[in-house]
Amino acid sequence: MSKGGRWGLVALAVAVVVAAFLIARPGDDEGDDQVASTVTAETQTETSPTATAPSAPAPPPDAPSATVIELTGHEAGEVSDIKVAKGDRVRLVVRSDAPDEIHVHGYDISRDAAPGKPARFSFPATIEGIFEIESHEAEHEGKDALIGRLVVEPS
Amino acid sequence: MIQIAHGIVGRSDLPIPEWLFGWAAAVVLVVSFVALAVLWPEPKLTRTSWRPLPGLSRVVLSRPVDLLCGAIGVFLLGLTVYSGLEGSQSPTANFAPTFVYVIFWLGLVGLSMLLGNVYRAFNPWRALGRAVSWVARTAARAPMPAPLSYPERLGHWPAAAGIFLFAALELAASDGDAPQTVAIAVLAYSVIQFVGMALYGVEEWTERGDGFGVYFGLFARISPWEVRDGMLGVRPPLAGLAAFQPLPGTVALLAVMIGSVTFDGAAEAPIWTGIAPDISDFFQTLGLSPEKALEATFLIGLIAAIAIVYGFYALGVRGARSVGGGFTDRDLARAFVASLVPIAFAYVAAHYFTLLLYQGQAIVTLAGNPFGFLASNPLGEAGTDIFGTAGRSIDYGVIGATSAWYWMVGFVVLGHVAALTVAHDKALTFYSDVKLAVRSQYWMLAVMVGFTSLALWLLSQANQ
Repeated sequence: MSKGGRWGLVALAVAVVVAAFLIARPGDDEGDDQVASTVTAETQTETSPTATAPSAPAPPPDAPSATVIELTGHEAGEVSDIKVAKGDRVRLVVRSDAPDEIHVHGYDISRDAAPGKPARFSFPATIEGIFEIESHEAEHEGKDALIGRLVVEPS
Repeated sequence: MIQIAHGIVGRSDLPIPEWLFGWAAAVVLVVSFVALAVLWPEPKLTRTSWRPLPGLSRVVLSRPVDLLCGAIGVFLLGLTVYSGLEGSQSPTANFAPTFVYVIFWLGLVGLSMLLGNVYRAFNPWRALGRAVSWVARTAARAPMPAPLSYPERLGHWPAAAGIFLFAALELAASDGDAPQTVAIAVLAYSVIQFVGMALYGVEEWTERGDGFGVYFGLFARISPWEVRDGMLGVRPPLAGLAAFQPLPGTVALLAVMIGSVTFDGAAEAPIWTGIAPDISDFFQTLGLSPEKALEATFLIGLIAAIAIVYGFYALGVRGARSVGGGFTDRDLARAFVASLVPIAFAYVAAHYFTLLLYQGQAIVTLAGNPFGFLASNPLGEAGTDIFGTAGRSIDYGVIGATSAWYWMVGFVVLGHVAALTVAHDKALTFYSDVKLAVRSQYWMLAVMVGFTSLALWLLSQANQ
């Protein structure tokens, strides 16, 4: 094959690959700005209670969409995934039959739980990725500390 | 679900979406067939055009820089061990685990690929070995040759064993991320290094026997930097791989390198999380404690992944032998092993890119308080926050999940192209007949497509 022919083939291949990418990629034009504005709005309302009073229960106590994890002896039995899109609000309630501290990795948020006083989380999902939710008491006792996973997908 | 999580990981990757997986796999096939048609008919990488850079060389290879790099390496070695033994035993609060598993193990892979063999300059064991040898020579006023010459048959086997043990500590040991375990492992490795250097000579051992020396040295061969006869110069990227002389054990080392990352990826995937509890239960019925049973399970998984990678490469080599030329399996396996280095790089880069990017940030905070919550900090109160970074948390906003996906897939596809290029060029010098060279490459192409597809599949299965 001539030199020109080779470069032609390479150019054709690049064109095909780029075209395939543009076709295959799911459209993400709608909703982008909308999500961005909700994030900032929610962050503002939520940051102050989060930063100043970590043990105070978050505003909407038992919102209908909250995920509930029940701990018996610091263990959840089944590890549940909490799936949200970036920008959504994460609502999580952890009930425990013993005093515990629940920690969401990455977001680095900890809440205390006690019998009759569940740990309540309500924060905006600002970081994409998968984050472990752990019982610190189980960790101290050398047990499997993983009680759930927060899965934040791109919006 | 059971898993031995890296105790220092705060965030794991989302699996790449199906459409991206499909697109990337198609790109790999297109690239491969285009490569068959357009790659050069004459070897290019072996007729290297190495160009000396005297000005840069005088600075980079000068004695003060040499001594400074060695001293930094020794300081970091000491800090890691001291911090691991005496500091906080929480993996995330201690300097040692993040430094060893993220900055050293992952950061140096990227640096080697970009800047050449930087590990050799900072290698603390080599620096100490040279210092001891200098003192001994000065005291004896005579040259002190190594007592033994490095046996040909030993080749890269000690290096393969070293990297395997490191991978087992990271991926299978249940307390592999405990600061104390890290420090003890570093000390044990140091002892092996000193014995090896004492027996076979400092440079001989660090170039062949030191697992990390060989490991980072292989990635440095992708880079355009090369030192010849004490002079730093530049060469075309990948040319260092074409010039690479494999030794006994090199193929095993590459299988360990690719297989261990494969296992780390598969361990997050349903294929492994589905069967691991059964294997673990089996070990418990044999009388192992739950913790030991889990370690044994992960060790078996790691070994299986390495064996699969090795077997797959051996299969491709068997195929390449069938085209003729009168070579043995061993000749061919060694001839093309250098083309696996870019694949190994792609595996590491794709799998650990975000870990390095995110957890790597933590090193600043950790270095500011290297001894963790040590009761009596040797540096006093000021030593708990040297850089004023104590409260800083990891900024996960540096890159979003979608960009991370593109980077990962990009690494895999680029690694594939580089591997094809190296294998193609090698075939042209290895076979006297161009037709045989081309036919042997159908087999190598199949091997590369296999490894690359596996890498993409693992990315699509991660943490599901």
